[in-house]
This record gives sequence, structure tokens and C-alpha cells, in this order.
Amino acid sequence: MYSQVRVYYPYVSPFDPCPPIRVKTYQVNPQLFMQFQPENMRQFTPAEALIHGTLWPDLYSSYSGRGDQEGLEGAYDNRKPSR
Amino acid sequence: MTTANRPVDEQFYQLLRRLQELDFVLVELNLYLDTHPHDAQAIEQYNQTAQQRWEVAQEFESRYGPLMNFGHSYSDYPWQWKEAPWPWQV
Repeated sequence: MYSQVRVYYPYVSPFDPCPPIRVKTYQVNPQLFMQFQPENMRQFTPAEALIHGTLWPDLYSSYSGRGDQEGLEGAYDNRKPSR
Repeated sequence: MTTANRPVDEQFYQLLRRLQELDFVLVELNLYLDTHPHDAQAIEQYNQTAQQRWEVAQEFESRYGPLMNFGHSYSDYPWQWKEAPWPWQV
């Protein structure tokens, strides 16, 4: 299983007036790698499906918001007041 | 509107939750079948889930009054549709 979160390192200008964000992440969702949904995929129970927002675990993509970037270099620098 | 609140107990929320779960499965299967009209197994699951949904809705309505108006649910006497709680109050 591949990671649904990918990372890239944007260019940082030496004249950037703001603290640079050196690492950025983006989400790649499972449906991007599924040409056409196959039949008879395994399913969540109805209760689980409601919580996950999909009936099929293989199409579930978690999203934990900006917390994804926790621990990545510089990710929070832009959140702190610069002075 | 607040004079004769319907009784709301644990079972009220359990049945409503069950309905919500089954409704979501039906939405998913409906959308899936739109692009997979020949998946017989999924159609069977859709029909079974619709049946289950109907049973849960019947039970809910017999205990707590109509889920829908304009002739899609029955009402006891006196007229039950106007009774609280409204969907946004539960």
C-alpha cells in the first residue's frame, strides 16, 4: 500500500520576506489509481461506512488536516508570529 | 409545537442511527450501480438493504411518528407531523 500523503520541497527565494515553508504535502487519493471500480470489493459494515464516508475500505482516504505536516521541517514556521 | 413532545428515548436514537447507516449504504450502492448496472450481486445487496431500511423505518414510525409528510408516511390521531422534536432538534 502506497502512502496517500506525498511530499515536495518548494523553491525558497533568498528574498522571501516570510519564514520559508520548506516541506509541503499533498494528498493522493485511492480513486486516482483505480481505472474503473472492480466488482465485489470488500466492504465496511453500514456503521463503519457512515463514519468513513465510503462503503469500500479500498476507496477510503483519511484526512487529518494540517496535522499531516506535524514533525516535517518548517511546517509550522508559518504559523508562528514572525516577531 | 412544544406542548406535546414525542417521547425520545435511547431507542429513538438507535433507530435513527440505523436508518442513517442504511441510507448511506443505499446512496453508495445507488451511485455504484449507476456505473455498474450489470453487477447482479450489488443489485441484490441494494434490494436487501432497501428492505431492511423499510423495516427500520416502519418500526421507527410506529414508535415515534411519521418520518415523511405529504402522504409518504401514516399518522395516528391526533395529527403527528407537527410534533417536536423536529429533525434539527434531535
